[in-house]
Amino acid sequence: MTMLSMRAVLLIVGVYGYFLIFAQFAFVELMRSAGVSGTKEKVTLGIMALSGIAAGFLAAKRGPSVRSLRIALIAAAMVAASSPFARSVPEIFWIPALVTGGALGMITVNLAAMLRRWCGLMSVGLGVGLGYAICNLPPVFMSSAVHQSFFAAGFAMIACLAVPRDGESAADEWSVPSHGTLPLIAALLGLTALVWLDSAAFFIIQHTHDLKESTWGEAMLWRNAAVHLGGGLLAGWWMKKTSGRGLMLGAWALLALAAFLVNSPDGRSAAGWLYPFGVSLYSTMLVAVPGWFSGVKDARAAAWRAAWIFSVAGWFGSANGIAMAGELQRVPFMFIVIAGICVWLATGFYKVLRWRNCFMVALVVLPALIAGRAKTAAPITPTTIERGRAVYVAEGCIHCHSQYVRPIALDEATWGSAGKLQQVLAGKPVLIGNRRQGPDLQHVGLRRSEAWLKIHFIEPRTLVPASVMPSYAHLFNDQRGDDLVTYLKSLGAERAFEIIGEREKWQPAPSAKKADAKHLFANHCAVCHGCDARGGGKLASRLIRPPTNLADGPYLWTAGEGKDAWQRVARTIKFGLPGTDMPGHEVFDDAMIRALTDELMSWREK
Amino acid sequence: MSKCGDDPVRDACGHALAWLAVANGVGLWLALMLWFPALNHSEWTYGRWVPVHLNLQLYGWTSLPLIAWLFRLYKADAESIRPWASAALWAWSAALVVGAASWLSGMTSGKIFLDWTGGALASFLIAQVILWVVLVAAWKRNQSTWDGKWRIGLLVALMSLGMVPVSLWFASSPAVYPPVDRSTGGPTGASLLGSSLIVVGLMLAMPRVARLAGHGIKGSWLWIYFGISWLAFFIFEHIGGTHRDVCQLISMAMLLPWVWIIPRDWSGYDWPASSKSWRHAMIAWWGLLVLSGWLMYQPGVLDRVKFTQALVGHSHLAMAGFTSSFCMLLMGLLTGSCVGSKWSVLLWNMAVLGMVIALKISGWIEGGGWSWMLETPLWREIGWGIRAGCGLAMWLISVKWWLG
Repeated sequence: MTMLSMRAVLLIVGVYGYFLIFAQFAFVELMRSAGVSGTKEKVTLGIMALSGIAAGFLAAKRGPSVRSLRIALIAAAMVAASSPFARSVPEIFWIPALVTGGALGMITVNLAAMLRRWCGLMSVGLGVGLGYAICNLPPVFMSSAVHQSFFAAGFAMIACLAVPRDGESAADEWSVPSHGTLPLIAALLGLTALVWLDSAAFFIIQHTHDLKESTWGEAMLWRNAAVHLGGGLLAGWWMKKTSGRGLMLGAWALLALAAFLVNSPDGRSAAGWLYPFGVSLYSTMLVAVPGWFSGVKDARAAAWRAAWIFSVAGWFGSANGIAMAGELQRVPFMFIVIAGICVWLATGFYKVLRWRNCFMVALVVLPALIAGRAKTAAPITPTTIERGRAVYVAEGCIHCHSQYVRPIALDEATWGSAGKLQQVLAGKPVLIGNRRQGPDLQHVGLRRSEAWLKIHFIEPRTLVPASVMPSYAHLFNDQRGDDLVTYLKSLGAERAFEIIGEREKWQPAPSAKKADAKHLFANHCAVCHGCDARGGGKLASRLIRPPTNLADGPYLWTAGEGKDAWQRVARTIKFGLPGTDMPGHEVFDDAMIRALTDELMSWREK
Repeated sequence: MSKCGDDPVRDACGHALAWLAVANGVGLWLALMLWFPALNHSEWTYGRWVPVHLNLQLYGWTSLPLIAWLFRLYKADAESIRPWASAALWAWSAALVVGAASWLSGMTSGKIFLDWTGGALASFLIAQVILWVVLVAAWKRNQSTWDGKWRIGLLVALMSLGMVPVSLWFASSPAVYPPVDRSTGGPTGASLLGSSLIVVGLMLAMPRVARLAGHGIKGSWLWIYFGISWLAFFIFEHIGGTHRDVCQLISMAMLLPWVWIIPRDWSGYDWPASSKSWRHAMIAWWGLLVLSGWLMYQPGVLDRVKFTQALVGHSHLAMAGFTSSFCMLLMGLLTGSCVGSKWSVLLWNMAVLGMVIALKISGWIEGGGWSWMLETPLWREIGWGIRAGCGLAMWLISVKWWLG
């Protein structure tokens, strides 16, 4: 890395640092602490944006120059350093807004237009990554708005000192080819979508306490700094090696996935990694596009590109993203999809928009739309069980559950004896399935009650702690959930006497293996029977019939003493009690059944 | 490769790689949902994503290279047909998008790999008809440039292709189901032989239709054995039975000689140097697929691995290992360049192997008893971790191939 490119890196770090820590954060906080809020706040920020756009185009018209860049950086430093004092006169807060916006417009356009003279794409990635990383360091990020303003003034001054001398250039910079060009309209479309999406997501994160704590809390800042730096470096390398189009798509995929995951508490940890990574990718591209991927031949033309891109993608995109998030308090799924389509179009897809292609796509898509409408208009007259079966098919239950007991010992001992193949093949469609992530369901109606099934659909891990089954609570917002439960309850009904009869002959085989009965009880029984086994588990009130008090009785279903009672208890654990909410635990092996039965019987004896 | 241009053969390869990247992304998502069930979101749960992954791999990734091959055979890349051939590809891809939307919204026939129903089925049938019409137009335009035998051969193939939409419509009906081995609930040995023989036919055709210099195995015994294999399929499929019956075991055993025959046949041709890595990978995967498939069909073994991750591993061996290598090799022959660098090819195959081994070991343990459904044993966590890690590597590589 040459001295010139190191100065360029420092310049990018300073500009990004100033923009992120002051324009995005400290300035807004100072303004609010001065009492500028509501409409006044919007007007002030509007002045900043308009001034930024105007200054950007002015910079492009005058042509990029080192002198303009230095003057703008000095102005930026001064306004940041003086803003804390402007809090005492809220009436004139529009003046720092005007200067900040103007300085930023001037700085960013000049910088993006001249960078190619000074450094390569790897340096751009390093500069952007470092800029983000430094702003995320706890001493900077967590400090007060006043201190952040002073930090920002420092950033601007360092950047000003790093600006290379006029005429200083690494080589014949415009003769080095880049890997491709991104037409202006494509760059505007793709980058605006990304800035919009990022601004909206960031607004939501910063204004939702839980979300902020789990993604941008103090403990996460070092991680975020590292991820930003890594993202910037990767983006620089990626652009150096290929065209930037894949980068844009990759950034969207990361941001979209983060926006998707952030809705689930368990997904927030992953979202916290993906979001800063995606931001660094596209931010690096935002800086590099005007100089490297515009297909322009000199810095002046690059400045015009920069002015357009920063005006539309930067100012317009971020303002709309924040406004949308502020209004809706979420990032709508449809918006993520639309942003993806914009990015997709920007990455070159627009080239295929020929009339023949459009015609063919229409020819294929229109019948589907018509058929979809026709289907919703059709009358529905199936029985509850048929409707439930349709839900089973629609939800793809066959991908985790079989409905086929094979005529082999392990299957028959676990799920009941094998039935007739012809009966299975009579189903339309046949629901044999090909994978068991969960139990076989051919006779599930004989092992589970309606109440148990419903609770399990809504909160699977409450009943089965290690279950990989998703929650299907949404099915109970309409009729589908109850239909599905009715269907499942019907499975095995035609063989009820036969299978229940078989169970009476079952007894657990002797086993040298030792199972931990207390652990089994705590994990699989206590939720209904209670930790003390007296029937007061947390689900007890949701069951039709209260769970048995296993400590004191009465033992309606397993009365008696000695070997017979022991066998009845073992069978009850294994197969459940038809007609009650007591489920079967058919996947327990015999050692588990023995251990649990011994434990329950020992309580009775006490 | 993926640049949209005026060459429908390259365009088809570009579409194929795009679908590979998308389908692998969905596969990775599925692996993560299994590992972290909380990632299942509202209506779009694991069960709805599975058909998206399976069908995009089959009808997107593995079908489009064959379409590229058809374009080359019928000279659909000739001047006047070219834009229509490229447009037909967009119709195909649009049908896949409609299909994916349909499966995610819960519209499915409930038949694995034949989930097409309602509007999605109509879309896909129309896309197939469009493609067929393009091929008919190409044949009509170019017929005078071919000699008699080749012209008739292509016409016969064209008429057979015309039956594909009808077959798909018939096969995707919920009322139709193939013969079942009653002891497993899965396909019979003869069914597996039949589907494998189609692949054998494609492998025998590849160097011959590509008109590579050299020649395959001399003499007619190769074709006699191929014919006998098909005859065995028809007879044993008609007889039916289970994996404990001799005729079904013979069906599977009839595949074993092809592990040796295919490389022996191919070694007589002068393959382009750029095809080396994928050709070797494909032959290795083919051998592994047939040998492990035969082993897993044996009584006792199939009883243990049926319904477990071992069979999921075998599917990945077939699709991500063997079929993907075949498609890559085919695309390389059609475009004259190898897809992926040496390292990316190696990394892909290593990732597939890692995933297959993890799935097969997990499946073997699963088959010993079902108590793992109630606990989360360490071996399952490790298996999911390896699966997701390999899936991530495969997805990243496929994205690179597509964008590259």
